[in-house]
Amino acid sequence: MFYRVAGQYKTSYQADYALFPVKQDAFLLALILVVAFVVFPLTASDFMYRALLIPVLIYALAALGLNILTGYAGQLSLGTGAFMGVGAYACYKLVTIFPELNIIVAIALSGFFSAAVGVAFGLPSLRIKGFYLAIATLAAQFFLVWLFQKWGWLYNYNASGAIQVPNTQMFGVTVTGARASAMSQYFVVLSVVCIVTFFAINITRGRIGRTWKAVRDMDIAAELVGINLMKAKLSAFFVSSYIVGIAGALFVFLWRGAAEADLFDIQLSFRVLFIAIIGGLGSILGNYLGALLIVALPVIIGTVPAMFGLPISSAMVEHLNTMIIGALIIGFLIVEPHGLARLWAMIREKLIIWPFPH
Amino acid sequence: MRMKHTTALVAGIVAAGIAAPALGQEVLKLPNMSYRTGPFAATGTPHMNGQLDYMTMLNERDGGIGGVRIAFEECETGYNTEKGVECYEKLKSEGALVTQPWSTGITLQVLPRTNVDEIPMYAPGYGFSAMQDGKTFKWAFNPPTSYWDGASMIMQGISDGNLDSLDGKKIAFLHLDHPYGKEPLPLLEAMAETHGFELLPIPVGLTEMQNQSAQWLQIRRERPDFVIMWGWGAMNAGAITEAVKTRYPMEQFVSVWWGAHEPDLNLVGEEAKGYRALSWNFVDSESKLMQDVKTHVVDAGKSQLNQQAGEFDTTAYQRGILMSVILAEAVEAAQEQAGTPMINQEQLRKGLENVNLDEARLAELGAEEMMAPFAMSCSNHTGHASAWMIEWDGTKFVKVSDLLTADRAVIDPLVETAAADYATANQPWQMNDDCAE
Amino acid sequence: MESLHSIFVAPFADMVAAPDFFLQVVWEGLVSGVLYALIALGFVLIFKSSRIFNFAQGIMVVFAALTLVGLHERGVPALLAVPLTLVVMFFLAVAIERVVLRPLVNQPDIILFMATIGVTLFLIGLGETIFGGENKVMITQQLGIPTGSWTMEPFGGFVSIEQKDVTAVVGAVLLVIALLVFLNKSKMGRAIRALGDDHQAALSVGISLSTIWVIVWFISGIIALATGIVWGARAGVSFALEVIALKALPVLMLGGLESVNGAIVGGLAIGVLEKVFEIYWGQPLLGGNTEAWFAYMLALLVLLVRPQGLFGEKIIERV
Repeated sequence: MFYRVAGQYKTSYQADYALFPVKQDAFLLALILVVAFVVFPLTASDFMYRALLIPVLIYALAALGLNILTGYAGQLSLGTGAFMGVGAYACYKLVTIFPELNIIVAIALSGFFSAAVGVAFGLPSLRIKGFYLAIATLAAQFFLVWLFQKWGWLYNYNASGAIQVPNTQMFGVTVTGARASAMSQYFVVLSVVCIVTFFAINITRGRIGRTWKAVRDMDIAAELVGINLMKAKLSAFFVSSYIVGIAGALFVFLWRGAAEADLFDIQLSFRVLFIAIIGGLGSILGNYLGALLIVALPVIIGTVPAMFGLPISSAMVEHLNTMIIGALIIGFLIVEPHGLARLWAMIREKLIIWPFPH
Repeated sequence: MRMKHTTALVAGIVAAGIAAPALGQEVLKLPNMSYRTGPFAATGTPHMNGQLDYMTMLNERDGGIGGVRIAFEECETGYNTEKGVECYEKLKSEGALVTQPWSTGITLQVLPRTNVDEIPMYAPGYGFSAMQDGKTFKWAFNPPTSYWDGASMIMQGISDGNLDSLDGKKIAFLHLDHPYGKEPLPLLEAMAETHGFELLPIPVGLTEMQNQSAQWLQIRRERPDFVIMWGWGAMNAGAITEAVKTRYPMEQFVSVWWGAHEPDLNLVGEEAKGYRALSWNFVDSESKLMQDVKTHVVDAGKSQLNQQAGEFDTTAYQRGILMSVILAEAVEAAQEQAGTPMINQEQLRKGLENVNLDEARLAELGAEEMMAPFAMSCSNHTGHASAWMIEWDGTKFVKVSDLLTADRAVIDPLVETAAADYATANQPWQMNDDCAE
Repeated sequence: MESLHSIFVAPFADMVAAPDFFLQVVWEGLVSGVLYALIALGFVLIFKSSRIFNFAQGIMVVFAALTLVGLHERGVPALLAVPLTLVVMFFLAVAIERVVLRPLVNQPDIILFMATIGVTLFLIGLGETIFGGENKVMITQQLGIPTGSWTMEPFGGFVSIEQKDVTAVVGAVLLVIALLVFLNKSKMGRAIRALGDDHQAALSVGISLSTIWVIVWFISGIIALATGIVWGARAGVSFALEVIALKALPVLMLGGLESVNGAIVGGLAIGVLEKVFEIYWGQPLLGGNTEAWFAYMLALLVLLVRPQGLFGEKIIERV
């Protein structure tokens, strides 16, 4: 009824493989883009930008990067936080060494640094598998954060050991630093996220994406049918770490404004992993749904007691929040282990045949 | 699914927006970014209790300041910088008159925004030492004394006023590996060069705070003549127990004011005898100030403090009280200048610049034994109060020195450079040119 | 030449020059190694019987210790608080089996892993809600653990040994022996091992999956309480332990995921090696704090040579 596919004929394989085989999907996406690009900017406050919209987008992007590695290529990573850190520190160095560099270019370039580091730590994946591989990424996680702390050159020998984002402009508008308006930052983040998502969708649909999936499902079998495992695994590490690095650069430059090494600790890695898994491994859409749940929901829950004037101390709200998120993770895993994306897919199926049961 | 989330999101925001003004406009909003949870709660909580209780006392006793009640709302950050962003934006949208960031990480994020959002930042006894330069940091205040002041006073304390006697000595600097812990390093390095002592920085990572065996093994091997501690939260208790275990002489172990925390020392009691800390405040539970808090807040059951554990008599709690005393002074000064009890952010900034806690005023408040007098001005946002060396006698802290004063000749040039660097890194940076020297 | 000397010669010269100090370093390492081994043991038990990579073991340690201290704060005598805490841990095991594991039977490893992370968050929130978020002091004396220290003076220096650390080591050894006897001699222990070898075969001879799971999680709870007391006595009870518990991962990798012996050897080895590396190489050459990553790097290097760990079962893959 709402999602009627009847009457949408496909006369070629091309049409069947198209990005939107069903017209309604395209409408829905257009609607979401309109909301994101027009409705939010007209209505949002600074709080909504900085506590909800921008973090949700950036976390979703990081989860997207991780999802390519874990969800598509089947390599578990617990080092996402550190790879975000590589992107952020690389971007900081680029911006301070070449102050004239456009910030978008700097962010795009910084991804290559994290990609290189990602490939280096991905090398053991050729020999080690499964949970054993998680140790390689954990080694990356703890080693890199330690390096961020000890290597003074990375933070220009600041006394505080932290990096501070300078004010930079793009087309005459300040987009990073304290003087940037939340709205301009939101638009930069949104555009980057949209572009990366577009590429990610197409990469995962294409030949490389299918190789990754073959490796994920059974790497030995994939090798036997002629897939070069090294190329497949390392390219997954490369693309994944590139996106994660960009997310890290955005994280510091367009959201936090300053960062010390501890920001990229293991908790950040876990947070991104939650998003990817709750959203759905092997799905692009899932990362956004997961980010809404893990990032935005606690903020909203935090405002509830004040809304109803409940006399709960703010510390207690935080405790309850942690508990609720933990319960939600378990709950969602039980209801749908394949994540929110699968839940949406099922709802969509139901909508297509509604009102008929089959 | 997508739409559902979006509507929930919008609904939540709208509701939050409505809830805020419903609290009413007739209050002075002086919120605090607290952390009563997490690894730093041990030292955080008593300070926050103190801050809150003094404001509650003003509300109870005087009906607020200048007849307007104070809303001292807490926003829990758990020392997490991400929650810090959220709290900052939330409090800003509610019309907060002041930001009290409490964590150096959050300070880092907020400091560059102070010039844009024009909300004064109040970081009593913490924050950046360079914030003393009011011309550069128009909106930031760190009274009564800065970390660099503290480090300078500690060096005077351990050398009995003769810094050159430190020549050839080895001084270990045991610090949290975090912007806060690294803060005094530039000053200590500069002093090491002039006075010929060897500085040995020993960082303690956030995950190692409670298990510092590697750090103390290093201290045992290096045998430094003094250990200066710049710790916070669970780190201090860990260091003190390790020091006892390593048999490091307590007379050579000195901490910044946050290490003057009785519960940490009660763990080892007698064995920590001789441990010293530099503190800009001193416990005086019988003072008029503390007795007022006791009658109006603690005994009235309006305090969150832990009475069984004797929190009322701790240095940390009473330091929290004094932090709020200074802020309340600023509000009063602002009201006087503005001629209205309902002040705005800019007026509070002026008020902070006109805080003058001289001997007479401290006596009037009943706090003359609790802290040294100081005053802030347009160009001096710290005030540079003097501080005491206090020593643990096995059961409590006692004063063991006269008031120490920081060496301005060493600190001020460093502040000037640091402030200039900060302004350059954050260009375009608005200087406050109205300040007379 | 200078740098080669400082890497390959100077550290060893230091060790020989001050042997008492070296002994102290090794002892300190051993004590942290015991903690790593205990946490790893909890992991291994659960992994052996259910193939679940239990991330929550670290927080179970904190939760058990918090419950113990919390009960004591509320006026329960220390020696009664211990059995009461065990009761709490038992109900926790039952709850986890009922609410989390049973509905997730047969899901992929990573989903179960995530579920235990969910349990971790839930327990952190629950622990903070009930007992408060601030650090607690372990009730060492009330439990009858000696708190003094012995000093030995070999080689003209001194080695200081805390009595509570000795208690910890002795306690851990007894616990491990009891566990090994239980696993190898008792009927229940054999059932657990059977389940570890082959789920379906075990089920078909009448071993109850859910009973075993409750028991295994409960045993992990007991180990968690022991770990909590040991570590709490040393460094206080706080949620920071959650991160230290991650060290159990490289221990497991080194020892092999299924091996009880591996967990113990791996734990002790990592404890000692990371301390020795930090003192003799990390602090003089690398600026310190190398303990943060040393264990992981070591495990990574070992895995590159032996992908199944030192004691792990050889992986045979078929298509």
